[in-house]
Amino acid sequence: MLKINNLHAVVGEAQSQILNGISLEVPAGEVHAIMGPNGSGKSTLSYVLTGRDGYEVTEGTVELGGENLLEMEAEERAAKGLFLSFQYPLEIPGVPTMTFLKTALNAQRKARGEEEMGAPEFLKKARALAKELKIKPEMLKRPLNVGFSGGEKKRMEIFQMMMLEPSFIVMDETDSGLDVDALRIVADGVNSLRSPDRGFLIITHYQRLLDYIVPDQVHVLSAGKIAASGDADLAKTLEKEGYDKYAA
Amino acid sequence: MPVLKQLPHRRMEAWKWTDVRRAVQESDPGLLQEATPKISDLEDWDGFKKPYAGPAGDGCRLSMFHTDGTWRISVNEHTDLKKPLEITYAQPGHSSLEVNIDDGHSLILIEHYNCSEKGFSNIDIDIDLGEESELTRIIIHNDDSDHTRLQTSRIFAQNGAKLNQYMLSFGGGMSRLETRLYGEGEGIIAHMNGAYLLSGNRHADLTSFTKLDHPNCLIRQSVKGVVTDKAKGVFQGKFHVERDAQHTDAEMRHDALMLSDRAEIRSKPELEIYADDVACAHGNTIGALDDNALFYMRQRGIPMAQAKALLTEAFVASVFDDMEDDAMKASLMTQISEWLETSYGV
Repeated sequence: MLKINNLHAVVGEAQSQILNGISLEVPAGEVHAIMGPNGSGKSTLSYVLTGRDGYEVTEGTVELGGENLLEMEAEERAAKGLFLSFQYPLEIPGVPTMTFLKTALNAQRKARGEEEMGAPEFLKKARALAKELKIKPEMLKRPLNVGFSGGEKKRMEIFQMMMLEPSFIVMDETDSGLDVDALRIVADGVNSLRSPDRGFLIITHYQRLLDYIVPDQVHVLSAGKIAASGDADLAKTLEKEGYDKYAA
Repeated sequence: MPVLKQLPHRRMEAWKWTDVRRAVQESDPGLLQEATPKISDLEDWDGFKKPYAGPAGDGCRLSMFHTDGTWRISVNEHTDLKKPLEITYAQPGHSSLEVNIDDGHSLILIEHYNCSEKGFSNIDIDIDLGEESELTRIIIHNDDSDHTRLQTSRIFAQNGAKLNQYMLSFGGGMSRLETRLYGEGEGIIAHMNGAYLLSGNRHADLTSFTKLDHPNCLIRQSVKGVVTDKAKGVFQGKFHVERDAQHTDAEMRHDALMLSDRAEIRSKPELEIYADDVACAHGNTIGALDDNALFYMRQRGIPMAQAKALLTEAFVASVFDDMEDDAMKASLMTQISEWLETSYGV
């Protein structure tokens, strides 16, 4: 489903080389985790995949469902079904959560040539999901993420994910700043989305999240390259032994 | 005196960013003529045109030299109609208006400034707010990009008078909308909000001057600006608080978004305070849209132009948040959305 081949990327005006030839394939239906020490390129990978300005690919290819992602604008990638759960979700002052999400949903549908979702259907779906994620209805009326706690923001990311129903999901440090209860709610949300035609790439520093969302494969990222790959047990080994072995 | 010599110019401190004299040519339609405003239901308000008592001379307002009288509207026990008074200035030329609101009465005044041709307009307005009276004033400005517009209002407020002013300007060739509020009594409450959205080569100058001579007045002013292309926005605001105006509580904000490298914003918030027990503040910011927020929105599938429009609309909308008339508020927001759609290509 997601095929990354020999990906090199530089960041910012200084053109610092962060990714040094990542190759990785996540088939549909699988959950892969990327673990690695600080500065190994985890967040950069998520931004390169989603097309953030300032991240330049110098070599390699990325395909999603057989299509070249790197040629698309950020919003086109989103419409193709790529979703990033942000490490630090942004506050959008003045734009109510529901307005934001309805605009996003219908922009994606329009880009795909589908019919827009009407207000009643949208509201019904939003209310049901909010209840499932223990999000208070009044939060949906407030400007997106403004004044929300860290945990609330992360829950809101999962809410958006479930509303938009993307085909491939990248989660960047979703567990940071979450207490155990919030972590469980988030994990339940993610697990409910696991399906044979959807792929996940879960970026995390700690093994903790992977107790709740059990990955099919774990990759260790070090100095912008995959240094090792293995099954879910690799995460447990890393937790015990640390990343020293893979240091550049 | 030749009329061009009567026009303000950039060597005058208050007009240094709005050089009217340079923008106007002698052949401009309206420069030497009177304009007739369209006033809704004039007779219902006891409205009439009052001739001037004597000829215009030194110290007279500019419109007096080019008109033969001033339009006069009264709100009193017979004409407190609880319906809006709507005035449209669509012709080039000079015009003068006096509005008198008696003690305890109220008025909703909607002013449209929309001249769709090249030319010059100058509107002078005097408003008397009686004790405990209330004026809600909505000003919508959208002139042709070759039109020069001056609009100067003087508002004289007595004890306990209340002013709610909302201004929305899409600019013109060169324009200045000036509000001068004179607090002549205690306990005056004034909310004076505005927004300007400018594209192309348009220019808008929102200038205000508030002078308080008596205690316990509350002033809130927030102006938001958006400029793109080669447009120029000017904000000048001044609170002048005299020694006797103790317990004045006054706040002024100007926040603007500059969306192109060639657009320009000039801003001068000022406080001049002689009373020692007051709370007065001003703030001023000029910035761009937040790149992180834009990426976040695009990652959710919202195209760039639409993301910019949503963020800009949210930024501007706050100045109209507390408008009581929902239909009027919706109408202003629609005009803002239309501007965003055209300017950003949504």
